Amino acid sequence: MIRGLSISSFILKNALRNGRRASLTVASVAISCGLLVTLLTLQRELTVPPESETASFRIIARNKVSLTQPLPVRQMAAIQKIEGVRQVTPFTYFGGLFREETATSWAQFGVEPARFREFLLEGRISQGSYEAFVKDRNSCLLGADTLRRYGFKVGDVLKFTGTFYPVDLELRIAAVYEGTIDDRNCFFHHKLLDELMGDWGMVGTWYILAATAEAVNGVISQVNTTFSNTSAEVRAETERAFQLSFVSMFGNVKLLFGSISAVVIFTLVLVCMSTMSMAIRERFRELAVLKALGFRRRELFAFILAESFGLALCGAVVGIGGVWIFWNTVNLQALTQGFLPYFEVTPRIMATGGLVAALLGILASIGPSLAVARMSVVQGLKTLD
Amino acid sequence: MALPLKYNFRNVIVRWRTTLSTVIGVAAVVSVVILLRALAKGIEANSASTGDPRNLLVVRKGSQAESGSLVTREQFRILQFFEGIERNVTGDPMISAELVMLVNAPRLGGGGEANTLIRGVTPRGIELRSRVTLVEGRWFELGKREVTVARKLAGRFAGFQVGGTIKVGAAHLRVVGLFDGAGSAFDSEGWMDADEARAIFDRGEMYSSILLRPKDAAAQRSLTLRITQDRRLALRAEPESEYYSQQTATALPFNILAGLLGTAMAVGAVFAATNTMYASVAARTREIGTLRVLGFSRSSIVISFLIEGAVLSGLGGLLGCALSFSLYVYVIARGITFGTIDFQSFSETVYQFRVTPDLMLTGLVFSVLIGLVGSLLPALKAARLPVITALKSL
Repeated sequence: MIRGLSISSFILKNALRNGRRASLTVASVAISCGLLVTLLTLQRELTVPPESETASFRIIARNKVSLTQPLPVRQMAAIQKIEGVRQVTPFTYFGGLFREETATSWAQFGVEPARFREFLLEGRISQGSYEAFVKDRNSCLLGADTLRRYGFKVGDVLKFTGTFYPVDLELRIAAVYEGTIDDRNCFFHHKLLDELMGDWGMVGTWYILAATAEAVNGVISQVNTTFSNTSAEVRAETERAFQLSFVSMFGNVKLLFGSISAVVIFTLVLVCMSTMSMAIRERFRELAVLKALGFRRRELFAFILAESFGLALCGAVVGIGGVWIFWNTVNLQALTQGFLPYFEVTPRIMATGGLVAALLGILASIGPSLAVARMSVVQGLKTLD
Repeated sequence: MALPLKYNFRNVIVRWRTTLSTVIGVAAVVSVVILLRALAKGIEANSASTGDPRNLLVVRKGSQAESGSLVTREQFRILQFFEGIERNVTGDPMISAELVMLVNAPRLGGGGEANTLIRGVTPRGIELRSRVTLVEGRWFELGKREVTVARKLAGRFAGFQVGGTIKVGAAHLRVVGLFDGAGSAFDSEGWMDADEARAIFDRGEMYSSILLRPKDAAAQRSLTLRITQDRRLALRAEPESEYYSQQTATALPFNILAGLLGTAMAVGAVFAATNTMYASVAARTREIGTLRVLGFSRSSIVISFLIEGAVLSGLGGLLGCALSFSLYVYVIARGITFGTIDFQSFSETVYQFRVTPDLMLTGLVFSVLIGLVGSLLPALKAARLPVITALKSL
């Protein structure tokens, strides 16, 4: 009797009796789930830049007109005086091209070394010494990621061709930092840039460190009002808000990825539903026999649901797990030249993928279940294929 | 002997329930790929249709884009008197010193802010770009804080409509007219008086670039050489159209995304097609046996099933093309534009997405390939069925 065979092994046997179809189904669910998780991760990477605990302490102040408009050096004293400001430094993006490269692959910033030290909060100097960087006007502080990527060592001289500035830089690596949220950048003496530009009197942006997390909002509004109605009005915002404003310039990234994800999910549902109905149609006759033997409809539903749910979950585990391993092994930062530095597949995203797969399993079993419910035993027994 | 094509077509149609989902699946893959490529195509078309091949664009040596370039007033004065520059009807040399500046402006409907590109042009600047036409209001006047903006920008940013005001720090620019850039990169710009712009943006004696029109092809060659080789100037000249055709980095992310998604989704679709075709083979075991008995060779059965797979997903491809084309028609009819950041100028570039015939053809070929790969294994299985067992099967 069938009850002798346990229900679960009956379902398992059914699911696996056409091994090829089962594995193809699992594979297509796996690929779709993997794709979905990847898309969600990419969307997160592009819309929510990683947050370091201390990023909220750091404030960027730029010219209100736009980022490319510089600010006068004379503003520094006024910013330093604002209550709640722990430190301030010029922060000028140089955007030079390294050696023969045709695109900027890592940023160089002009800073005032003595003041900049405090901004490295969670970072530490792993090679060389910060004092050497402070002392030598032609030196730079380099991120460990970039150092490793090119195989540089302390003492090497890096040459940059200016793209925004009509000057070139030659910087000796004096120290290496790591442990910050972004270990790729190169910091050099702002004084060097001033010298080369003929005492220019301008900086790109101000980098401000608030004394406490509570002081941040006050500092921001103070900086903004201090320079209102001057020749160079200022827009200050937290480092994080500043990064997010870059992302918003990509246009409607959320909508784009949202709609692609929707199409992927739709396709996924479709493929699974068709496979499930194929599997059920193939054994219509058996289901009719089961019905004839006295199994109730809801028991048949349970068989179908369990099978479809099981296959979908297998696919989810393979797909999501595979993608997780894949993105944790691949060095995407090196591959995309630092464009996608983290690409973290978060538990939340994986759970979303799993949930979609589970719903899918349930959804896919509805069609075949309805067909089974409607069939009469006689008709089912007559079915040939 | 080959099986008639009708056999495959009918099979696909008769078993519509199983085939439908595969067809729709392939359609989804094809439309995602076509639409992403269409976004990239739109951006590429923008740069391809910008610039007059007769014009020369002069920028600082070493700068990668106009926005990062610096040209002094002194250099402009020297260039003005170079020989071989075309003159207009009033006898003035066709040369314009320009200033490219970014202005952070609020989006219409409260969607945050984005950088827009404001170009300061000298009087000949408009004449040098004959494809740009005024569609509403008037051009800005010299010496005034007035700006004429692209019609496409007017639909995206607050204050960019005729009569509106664009705030640049403490300065206010009045919008006096709208122009149409004929699908070029100028569709993402606002134009104003260059000298007024130098004052507002505190640029002293600096312009960004110079645009000039040589008399003829020979003059173009000699001017290019003369400007580029003059070490005092440290400038670089190239045809305006060439400069813009190189600005393709903006389309790159969309192309990469299309490639990656296309590959991953295609693999999924191949699995779906394989499943459908296996089911199809299994259901037709007896039929295949009969065909073999009638004298059809193994190879003709393989080919027949391959064709069936190709037809199956080719239908999906057609559906995908139809879907993306109707979306395209809808977008054009509604006048919807898209915007993304231009990595060269760092401002928002406005573009239209374009579903072109060659894109649709690529999509179709792609779908047929999916079908062929997906039906390969089932076709081989069908061909290898032992005739007697096949005939006996239910």
